[in-house]
Amino acid sequence: MRRFSILSYGFSALLFAALPVLAADQDVIDYREAVMKIFNEQTGALGQIASGVVPDDNLVTHMQVLAMTAQTALKAFEPKVPGGEAKPGIWSNWADFSKRMTEFAQQSAAGAKIAKEQGKDAALEQLVNIADDCKDCHDTYRQEKK
Amino acid sequence: MYDSPVLNDRPHGSMFRYAARLASYLAGAALLAATILPMTARADDQDTIDYREHIMKTMGAEMVLINQIVQKKAPADGLATFTQGLAMTAATAKSAFATKMAGGEAKPDVWTHWADFSKRLDALAAATEDLANSSKGGDITAAASKVATLGCKGCHDVYRQKTK
Repeated sequence: MRRFSILSYGFSALLFAALPVLAADQDVIDYREAVMKIFNEQTGALGQIASGVVPDDNLVTHMQVLAMTAQTALKAFEPKVPGGEAKPGIWSNWADFSKRMTEFAQQSAAGAKIAKEQGKDAALEQLVNIADDCKDCHDTYRQEKK
Repeated sequence: MYDSPVLNDRPHGSMFRYAARLASYLAGAALLAATILPMTARADDQDTIDYREHIMKTMGAEMVLINQIVQKKAPADGLATFTQGLAMTAATAKSAFATKMAGGEAKPDVWTHWADFSKRLDALAAATEDLANSSKGGDITAAASKVATLGCKGCHDVYRQKTK
């Protein structure tokens, strides 16, 4: 009985010690999901502009916000915390994933520059390149949405 | 009209049937128009709603990131970027709501009280710009105090449908 009490106390102590770690893991997941959500919403808005269903007044702003946020994305995935929609392959194939994320950051930065300097048509052509980057990476590293 | 060779070739009974057939065609065309035109309008309406939701959800995600940073749950590296992104997006919000289109989470009051609503969005744009400017050097303490006074909740309480 005494041994059982020691074991149960020990287990409880371990559990309480693990709780901050588990909470911290969720913070990491929430952080990177917020970054990805910005991409999702901004590309959604850009897609509407590309389709001509909304005015293009904010094209440059959307491209700039996308590009700025893209510079933070790789770092958001550095903590090795599986969960959310991130496949474990991200960290087991880190060289490939980081190369893709770096390219995405470069393409979106180029897109923001093109939007400001060359206008809508050129920007939307670049948007196609950016969208291809998104899809290729998602096909490999994102869990299917349930 | 009664000198028309077309009409004079028809007996009066078929004239009635002709008129009835014409009336039915016109009624059918009207019914078709009444069905198709609203569908076209609904697609445009949804585009307007979707666009402003993209903007609001972007701001929501930026706030998640900024709050994590000021609560020390995330590294401070991204503070300047996310506050800048928030400010830039906030500056686009008023134009996104300029089209009077109730739907999504926007209460009709947005447009019946446009002067107040647009004033709040102007204030948000100014406050987020101030936040972004003070966050360029990564000052979390300054950012935290400014985040607390952005006024998102006050506007949502009045103008946003409760999320289901």
